[in-house]
Amino acid sequence: MQTVPSNAASSAYFQTFKVFAILIGIILASFYLLSSVLLPIIISFTLYALVEPMFNYLVRKNMNRSVAIILILVLMLSSSFLAISYALPQLLDQVSILKSKLPLIFTQLENFLTIYSEKIAVALDIDLQVSDILVSILSQSSSFGNTMLITISEQVFAITLSMILVPLLTYFILKDYKSLRNKMINWLPNSSFELGWLIYHRVTLQLQAYIRGVMIQSLIMAIVASIGFYLIGLDIAVLLGSLTGLLNLIPYIGPLISMLLAVLVASTMTPFDPTLIYLAIGVIGLAQLIDNLVVIPSVIASAVNLHPVLVIVGIIIFGNLFGTIGVILAIPALAAAKIIYSNLYLNIHNASTGYNTELIFK
Amino acid sequence: MVNMSHFFWNNIFKKNKSEIEIIAELWQLTPLFKNIPSRHILALAENMHVRNFQQDEVVFRVGDQSAGAILLLQGQVNISTSNANLAELVQGDFFGEIALAETEKRLADAYSVKPSRLVYFLKQDMQDWIETEPRLGAILLTNLSSILAHRLYKANMLLAEEI
Repeated sequence: MQTVPSNAASSAYFQTFKVFAILIGIILASFYLLSSVLLPIIISFTLYALVEPMFNYLVRKNMNRSVAIILILVLMLSSSFLAISYALPQLLDQVSILKSKLPLIFTQLENFLTIYSEKIAVALDIDLQVSDILVSILSQSSSFGNTMLITISEQVFAITLSMILVPLLTYFILKDYKSLRNKMINWLPNSSFELGWLIYHRVTLQLQAYIRGVMIQSLIMAIVASIGFYLIGLDIAVLLGSLTGLLNLIPYIGPLISMLLAVLVASTMTPFDPTLIYLAIGVIGLAQLIDNLVVIPSVIASAVNLHPVLVIVGIIIFGNLFGTIGVILAIPALAAAKIIYSNLYLNIHNASTGYNTELIFK
Repeated sequence: MVNMSHFFWNNIFKKNKSEIEIIAELWQLTPLFKNIPSRHILALAENMHVRNFQQDEVVFRVGDQSAGAILLLQGQVNISTSNANLAELVQGDFFGEIALAETEKRLADAYSVKPSRLVYFLKQDMQDWIETEPRLGAILLTNLSSILAHRLYKANMLLAEEI
């Protein structure tokens, strides 16, 4: 191999960055344009990633493509219908329990704060205006509650839209995605046609593995946490467990939120039992331990290798830009960006430095 | 640069049926598709990607990442390194088949001498096909390995001659 001149390397960096910036710009712009239907599109593609192996299997067994698509859709719809009709009433019951507990949770929070602020005031020898702090916290939390309600009522529309759009979109993605994809990649100029395909395959391979892995991981976490909460005798165990599974999609921050939720619920149990709080924390800790020692190494073996700081900063930025969807999208988006960048760089870098082939062709 | 109108319209409209048949027939004559039934080659050809190159346009350069083998449907392509012209390819010739075995880097330069139409057979499409047709896939991979073995043998002979 010849040595790389430094100016070639830096110009490769610059070129890579240029192409990369254009790509990211196009992706962000299309996200922005599609923002009103982003959720159903993402759900449909997630479903596609999940059922594609089954679809391929059916086609391999000489089943007609359209029949296979319809079979999969019927299976998906009926299983989600069953899940909703069985689980939803119970979950709604638990939500109403949580709602009745909310005032108690706030009172409990107030008590904690009063006790701890007094302790802190004594320890630091300063005069904390507890009542002022409390008033500001309570006013903020009530306005937070209002915003939550508004968001939820807005979400009802989005969810209804999704319920109509998702089966339709999934059907068309299963039917037409590959030919549409071929057409779009064919729009690339000759010079980047092959690279475009390579990057596409590497990104989709990783994303599919990630989506499948994360779905299984969430499910396992939800089951482990639900069983744990149930065993320690916590109220609304299944709701809390499901939330823990969902929040597990958000690395680092999600488990903390679910721990906070579990502690708050535990603190409102009557009679008040402080050991229950420790037990609730223990359940989340145990779930995390299982997640990190068993689930992640075995299920998400090809897990994206991103720096923790990048992950946290990415989650915050994506959350700011795209809301809740952004928080969940942050990791796969960062992983895809990383693959795209490294492949672009590899190609442009090679093109500028050449490759020694003297041995093979002479 | 790419002839925009050409390249645009060719992708909007589907390849006409007869061209796919020509592509399948040309592939069938190559050692890569030896012993593979023509209807399977035809089905594969429907998913291949046809692209137009202008005169003196670069097809690939040494070190470019490679995604598949390329069949020359029309025109002429030259393969060269910095110091030697390796081959002049015409209709029915294929090149870059190493990419089917290993997605690595192109080992030579290729450029179109005349306006050309090239057919890309991508490694990913080959792998998807092998999953659906494992028995025929084994034949294709055997063909591929004998092509590559032959190439290695020739390279060894050249090396031996020099020493």
